[in-house]
Amino acid sequence: MVWLLANATFAGAGLFLLQFVVDDFIAYTLALYFLYAIACLGVGLSWGQAGLLSLGQGLFVGVGAYLSGLSLIAFSDQWFLYPLLVSCCMVPGALGFGIGQLIFRGRTLNGAYFALITLGLVLLASLIATSWNSVTGGFNGLLGVPGLPGLDGFEHAYVISASALFVAILMVAWLLATPLGVLWRAVAEDERRVAYLGFDPNLLKSVALGLSGLLGGLAGVLYAPINNLVTPDLFGFALSTNFIIWAAIGGRATVYGPVLGAVGIGLLTVQLRETIDYWEIILAMIFMGTVLYFKWGLLGYVEPFIKQILIRSTAPLTPAPPRNPTGVGTLDIKGLELQVGQVRILNDLSLSIDAPGIYCLIGPNGAGKTTAFNAMTGELSAQSGQMSIMQSVVASPDARTLAQQGMGRKFQVPCVFDALSISENLSLALWTARIDRPALLGFEALQWTSVIRQELERRFPFLTERSRLVRDLSHGQRQVLDLAIVLCTEPRLILLDEPCAGLSKAETQDVIDTVQWAAASLGATAIIIEHDMALVKALADKVFVLHQGHLLAEGTVAEIQGNEKVKTVYGGGSK
Amino acid sequence: MDGLLVAHGLNISFEIVVLALVSLGLAITLGLLGVLNLAHGEFVMIGAFSAFFVQSQGWPYLAAFPVAILACGAIGWPVEKFLIRPLYARPFDAILATWGLSLLLREMVEFFFGRGFNSVAQPIKGTVNILGADYPAFQIVVMLAAIALIATIVFWFLRSVTGRRIQAMVDNPDLAKAVGIPVDALARNTFVAGLCLAGISGVLLAPIVAVHPSMGIDYVLKSFFVLVVGGLGHILGLVIGSGVIGGAEATVSAIIDRTSGYSFVLILSLLFLWRRPNGLVAR
Repeated sequence: MVWLLANATFAGAGLFLLQFVVDDFIAYTLALYFLYAIACLGVGLSWGQAGLLSLGQGLFVGVGAYLSGLSLIAFSDQWFLYPLLVSCCMVPGALGFGIGQLIFRGRTLNGAYFALITLGLVLLASLIATSWNSVTGGFNGLLGVPGLPGLDGFEHAYVISASALFVAILMVAWLLATPLGVLWRAVAEDERRVAYLGFDPNLLKSVALGLSGLLGGLAGVLYAPINNLVTPDLFGFALSTNFIIWAAIGGRATVYGPVLGAVGIGLLTVQLRETIDYWEIILAMIFMGTVLYFKWGLLGYVEPFIKQILIRSTAPLTPAPPRNPTGVGTLDIKGLELQVGQVRILNDLSLSIDAPGIYCLIGPNGAGKTTAFNAMTGELSAQSGQMSIMQSVVASPDARTLAQQGMGRKFQVPCVFDALSISENLSLALWTARIDRPALLGFEALQWTSVIRQELERRFPFLTERSRLVRDLSHGQRQVLDLAIVLCTEPRLILLDEPCAGLSKAETQDVIDTVQWAAASLGATAIIIEHDMALVKALADKVFVLHQGHLLAEGTVAEIQGNEKVKTVYGGGSK
Repeated sequence: MDGLLVAHGLNISFEIVVLALVSLGLAITLGLLGVLNLAHGEFVMIGAFSAFFVQSQGWPYLAAFPVAILACGAIGWPVEKFLIRPLYARPFDAILATWGLSLLLREMVEFFFGRGFNSVAQPIKGTVNILGADYPAFQIVVMLAAIALIATIVFWFLRSVTGRRIQAMVDNPDLAKAVGIPVDALARNTFVAGLCLAGISGVLLAPIVAVHPSMGIDYVLKSFFVLVVGGLGHILGLVIGSGVIGGAEATVSAIIDRTSGYSFVLILSLLFLWRRPNGLVAR
């Protein structure tokens, strides 16, 4: 809240005072670049936050501008003009969301592919705009677009676009500070992990692209009346490239970076293009240098500090609401067959767990332990067999739904969000199956805590360093944090893949204690893949031995140790 | 009527062959080095401007090939060293960096040659009669040259020691280094070779298309579509991809108009990204 007020004061005062410092011509030029800044804020939102590099932001600006231009020409004196213009902003927003849903649907798409698709789309728009003469005016575009009724003077241009920019800045500052902003940054870093926390990465990305489109659309809708013309240049790849350059140099992950980039570099370009012939060449080189050595842009290294001073994470934590009901941690697998290429990994695997407790999955390398987990969470799909997870039959498992129902999985390599703080990492887990849509846009959920979180913080004091960035943690701490994330979701079925790998003896003991405590207090089932027999002895209520994709034996530790078949497999004797 | 059909067929074949040649260079950098080089089209543009430059100096057309190779090599070598190599491990940033590079190259060419459209005279005049259709002789030569070039490169890649070493590098760079393959030099040469191939395509295309600084965007996008449809695994994918994309665009454009042809190809590529993200011929 403090952050938002500070933003409102800063941006408002800055934009208000600026008009007294500059002359009329610059004020008018500024008005134009303020509009570009609004579109550029959209690039910051989709690229800087959600990691979606769009080479086609001009698509939204252009669509907004053409719709607004056509509306103004046709209905300039109608009472419904303003509502119509508002809906002209909405169309590019809906377009962005729709494109997102179409592109991201089903599969996780490589970032490069997304960039090129957006480039393809903006080039398509450019072709349509230049060839559909009857509507778009072809190469010349829409000429003689009237200004906004009542606000059509030369002197109004600055006021209009400065106000719009003010609103856009506040909107972005607000979004970035909400749980939704945290989720976007998490998606940019590790989509799969976000899905394992019960969120839909594709929906999150589509929303980011939609809002980016909305901002682009707003810029376009105002562009038409202020410039009095709309040309197909808005769809040109040059403008879209400029948005990327401005956001990159200014600082794509910050609120003010895209604004500084668009307005600062824009004005510089206006001034220098006449005097320095090779200014564009210099700009291209600055951009490449930024990408190579200065990834977060000018403000990327400044704004986070200011933000930290303004909002110290000292706000008191409040208890999170109870999570949605979960299933019982049971598992029933029958005759699972899984083959990848020519290699048969799971071979008629059957395995059943009908009561909570701690179960260990052991077996030589290549026995299919991790693959069994992967089949259960939908990473790999089994060719045949039946699975019933948490008492419901699952035909094609997917991580997000399972997480919602109460499954948590920890991968062998720690999967934590490096760019986020410890507190944000734990909050993500607390939001699983707890946060509703309105809360995603509020600030309360950032302060949530739970009994589990408090106990984890007591056991591992580094977790209380709330604003510390996770990229600064040691390997052992990352393993612990990953486990803490899984446990904070309060799962009923916990899959742990070598949770103690790479940990010291003391750390290992702490993790063992924690797993036992969590399983008991949550009434959960924990299935642990483990190689270390001492650990298995300490932990397991029951042991499953896998060999060549098949269940070789099951029983207590003592029973397993006395089993001849198991001895043969591990002792290297003949089959 | 028959002659018209044959001419259409030849036009479509021409599109496909040229597309395959341009895509081969992109496939080399993306498939072998994992870098999606968005500046690939600009090297086609540089090749085309080499032909324009050679012509404006009054030199013979064939001199454009060494000029283009020299230009692409001279730009490509430092680009690999200073821009691409630091980013092999950050493929996402490599896209951005090469997008910046494409801008830089466009601006530089614009600085020296201006923004306008240029044309290069066809070095071989006249037409040949094929099955009743009169077709420009030069385009036939370009087609044959492109096919020969693709065949040579593929044959060389599959049979030569260097080709094997590249395959080893792609498969496991660390192991390749451990067995004594100079991975850094090999990657650089592969990258530069991909660029030179783009330059050569540009020289071949220059007399047929309009030569201007922004001509590259279209090629990089279409080549990318080819790789999406065809997949990166096999030369067959490249041929099929070029056939599908080049053929579909030329056909739809001829029947309806250019916008429809382009939309069709874009939608087709999107469908492939959804349903078959590894392309028709998977690795």
